[in-house]
Amino acid sequence: MYDLIGPAIFGLLSVGIIAAAGGVVLLKRITAQALLMAFTFFCMAGMFLLLGAETIAAFQVLIYVGAITVLILFGVMFTKQDERAYALFFQRQTPWAGAVVAAIALPVIALAFSFRDGIPLPPGGDLIPLATSLFGDFTFPFEVASVLLLAALVGAIVLVKRDDDEEPTGPAGEPLP
Amino acid sequence: MTVPIGAFIAVSAALFFIGAAGVLMRRNAVVILMCVELMLNAANLALVAFSRRSGSIDQRGSVFVVFVFVIAAAEVAVGLAIVLSAYRNRPSVDVDGAKAMSG
Repeated sequence: MYDLIGPAIFGLLSVGIIAAAGGVVLLKRITAQALLMAFTFFCMAGMFLLLGAETIAAFQVLIYVGAITVLILFGVMFTKQDERAYALFFQRQTPWAGAVVAAIALPVIALAFSFRDGIPLPPGGDLIPLATSLFGDFTFPFEVASVLLLAALVGAIVLVKRDDDEEPTGPAGEPLP
Repeated sequence: MTVPIGAFIAVSAALFFIGAAGVLMRRNAVVILMCVELMLNAANLALVAFSRRSGSIDQRGSVFVVFVFVIAAAEVAVGLAIVLSAYRNRPSVDVDGAKAMSG
């Protein structure tokens, strides 16, 4: 009985991931797509738990489900989502895109099922080995990643900053004091 | 019985190719960003699964997943900034119409 719990949870999570990701690609309601993307990330956190990576699962919920989904929803909010009827199924490039993706995907998925080992779970969680490795061998890439985040922060602000020659004006166009 | 590692890799590959199909098929810039995030997440699952398969105790795969998180956060922030600044010049998020940068 206990042996079937892991595969059952895996089946539920994989169905959730594939169905929600298919909804992200195929639906046309942008808010539903963003929330389905968040659901995909949440199911992926469950996958990480099943693999014994609890810390990564916590990061997944914090960063993907929290931060990135909110950023995407901001992007949805600030832009006008114009309706393009049948934009998905009557494009000229859709058959070519589907053929190329299927030609690569089917051999890769067939190859993936050739790994048949079980998963040895590490005893005692993964936080301590992860932190030891991250702050031991990977200290320099860690610092480079922090510089990258700073550069992305400054770059995002510069990209969306309005030009300085646009003087702020009142409702009737008069210059503000 | 435990779940074999190939099942995780197969889910990862399926999610990656769903995301790739979305990037190739959809023309909404925000949806394309979402699909790129799906592809990055599929790569994360493959990294963690192979890290488990190798049986290493130092969690190298999880370390790379942490770096992928950082890259994904930076990518979506800068990507949305580019989409918004392009939207200010031409009020549409349809990438087919964005020919102004091409030579």
